[in-house]
Amino acid sequence: MAEHKKPDPVDVVIVGLGASGGTAAKVLSEAGLKVVGLERGPYLRNHEHFSGDELKFVNRSYMWPDAKLTPRTRRVEEDEEAQPYPFSMTPQLVGGGTNHWAGWVPRPRPSDFLQRTLHGDVDGLSLADWPFQYEHLEPYLTKIEWEFGVAGIAGADKGEGFRSKPFPSKPLPPTRWGKKFYQAANEMGINAFPIPHAMVTNEHKGRQPFNRTSFWNQYGDPSGARSNTATTFIPEALATGRFELRSDCFVREVKVGKDGRATGVVYVDGSGAEFEQDARVVVLAMGAIETARLMLLSQSAQFPDGLANSSGLVGKNATFHEYLFAIGFFDNEIDDPLYGWTGNYISGGTMDFYETDESRGHIGGCIVSSSQTCHPINMVFPGRPSWGQAFKDADRTFFNYAMKIGLILHDMPQERNRVDLDPTHKDFMGLPVARITHRAHENDRAMGKWQVDKNIEILETAGARKTIPVYLDQVTGNTCHQHGTARMGFDPSTSVLNEWCQTHDIDNVFVVDGSGFPTSLGVNPTLAMMANAWRSCEYIAENYLTGRVERLAGAHS
Amino acid sequence: MSSKADWKTVLEPVDPDSDERLFFSQHQWDTVEALSARIIPTDHDPGAREARVVVFIDRYLSGINYIFAAADGSGFLQIDGPYASAWRSRITDMQRTYREGLAQLDALCTAEFGSPFVALADDDQDRAIEILSGRPKPGPVTLGTTEPAHTFTQFTTDDGLSFFDALCLHVKQGFYADPVYGGNKDRQGWRVIGFEGPASLKDTMDGTYSTDSFFVQEYEWTDLIPHLKVQTEWEPPS
Repeated sequence: MAEHKKPDPVDVVIVGLGASGGTAAKVLSEAGLKVVGLERGPYLRNHEHFSGDELKFVNRSYMWPDAKLTPRTRRVEEDEEAQPYPFSMTPQLVGGGTNHWAGWVPRPRPSDFLQRTLHGDVDGLSLADWPFQYEHLEPYLTKIEWEFGVAGIAGADKGEGFRSKPFPSKPLPPTRWGKKFYQAANEMGINAFPIPHAMVTNEHKGRQPFNRTSFWNQYGDPSGARSNTATTFIPEALATGRFELRSDCFVREVKVGKDGRATGVVYVDGSGAEFEQDARVVVLAMGAIETARLMLLSQSAQFPDGLANSSGLVGKNATFHEYLFAIGFFDNEIDDPLYGWTGNYISGGTMDFYETDESRGHIGGCIVSSSQTCHPINMVFPGRPSWGQAFKDADRTFFNYAMKIGLILHDMPQERNRVDLDPTHKDFMGLPVARITHRAHENDRAMGKWQVDKNIEILETAGARKTIPVYLDQVTGNTCHQHGTARMGFDPSTSVLNEWCQTHDIDNVFVVDGSGFPTSLGVNPTLAMMANAWRSCEYIAENYLTGRVERLAGAHS
Repeated sequence: MSSKADWKTVLEPVDPDSDERLFFSQHQWDTVEALSARIIPTDHDPGAREARVVVFIDRYLSGINYIFAAADGSGFLQIDGPYASAWRSRITDMQRTYREGLAQLDALCTAEFGSPFVALADDDQDRAIEILSGRPKPGPVTLGTTEPAHTFTQFTTDDGLSFFDALCLHVKQGFYADPVYGGNKDRQGWRVIGFEGPASLKDTMDGTYSTDSFFVQEYEWTDLIPHLKVQTEWEPPS
């Protein structure tokens, strides 16, 4: 066995410094704990490394993981050999997905926490209630909105759950394509509102926003407008003097001692040197794919099937939220231009189709938003001619005359849909890569079809003269949302984590990213992930490390 | 090895008027330029030829010096560590794809039309591309129709693409990428489609470039969200 260098032990080691790991760093260090954060990627400096370079950010994987170094594989059926596929390649760097994201931060609704109670047994699905409810999360949703910076209008969505505070920042003016959405929605009696946005539009906690470049979704933001943990929570954690950030450090194992408790993690730094960082508590926050992979890689005498995996459920029940949409083209000789490439990706949207209405033929529902059709190289235009006069004509005619209405597919959990270790493909470190096995459920397809068709209706009401619906075939991971691979619950035989994101098997291992989500929500998950991370880390600091055990109602039933 | 955060900026923006070849032979250069002109033809607006797409592609295929422009467009990032190996391997594969693809194209042109691609008339070049790609030349996109499609990933790389598919992607990139990469000369690609892009990458970093004027200028939230009008407690966000 190689000799490891052993830095001084700390109270908490956090693995992964994206949305939830960045939140953990802030909350734990501000609570007075000594914390080390390990991030496999670099710590890019937003004002120095980011700009509106479409080729670099959207086509050449400057910020996305390089699929040659850290591939993933995918398959649909059990008997298939999984093939390399850039599945859900969420950026791996300090700040994680909050570097590239458009920043939709809608709140989940109370029904999201009760999918099992609401729908019972559904063939093929493994629905489960959350071990806590919307009201448990609400104070933390508010904290994230105010500490992190979110723009929106309280009360604009009539169906929103209880909200204890309005938003700290007002929404951006609507884009021209966004205004079309509002007009059509109003004509159809749909409650449109500005989708809550992880950006600030007025000075907030010292941030001076200016980014109106329209280089937004998938681009890094050189200004302070986008809410990114790398430019908010991480610097706040560093300012405590108790948080040490180690970037370019790849964690390959969580170590378990003879007593079955975690002792710390083994990692490799940028020069290839190996270290063992001991800690009283290990917090995993790499996203539901890489967290599950690390847990499965961390095999020990006590946990031969992977860390805290006595249930056998680590990696299972994975959900991924496919982004589906419909495009509308207008007539450049008659209609006003829409400039679909402008804006900060989202404008007006709705949650009117969010709650289950069984007359539609499926359970669940999705958030919907009008959104950018993006920049010239990567204009979102399925069926765009690949070459010739038709290509040039189509671009010239439609580039400024297109709009899009997208949705976040609320895909339902199935135990068979999972992340495990690929038996043949390895990453550049020589470790097995994450293999995704995912087959869309009939309910996922039906929901996608119904909502895309509804979006077409909205586009037609808005005056679109040609539409392109994009339906679900199989899930591609195109939202970068990842959940479910270490689901939370009260029963250790049917869940991996308890209601505090603490593993049932190992009391000093917590998983604070989307891995714990028993169901995927019909909204973008990051706000809920960060709120959940805050809540769990507060529990670590105020209860767990002070020797107090607290359980929620339901834990002993 | 240095962290991606510390990659150095080297070289300078690519000169679109350069005739210096870093990867292609003269014949390959001429063939790719002719192909690019069939992919984005010249009409009353400039096409790929005028936008110097061939320069863009030649620099890309020359190695790993022109992969990532520095954020401010002053030069290019010197890729280091495992990323450098990954990109070298990617570019080596793509070089082979181009060499073999161009040779195959000329072979089929010679067999079918008696001359290499560059010597053919436009119509024969289009026909040769149809044979090479195995697909008919795309027809116009028309209004009044609905054409379903299936989902895809957010980003598009050229990993694993065939020669012609890679070429189409690279021509599109060379026409529309920031001019620092050598194509889109004088922002001609952007002007053709009415994209009001930035004068420089640096302008996108410091607030100089703004698309404010494209947002709706006059609006009331209570018009866009009518139910806010009847909420007595609601006040416009300050």
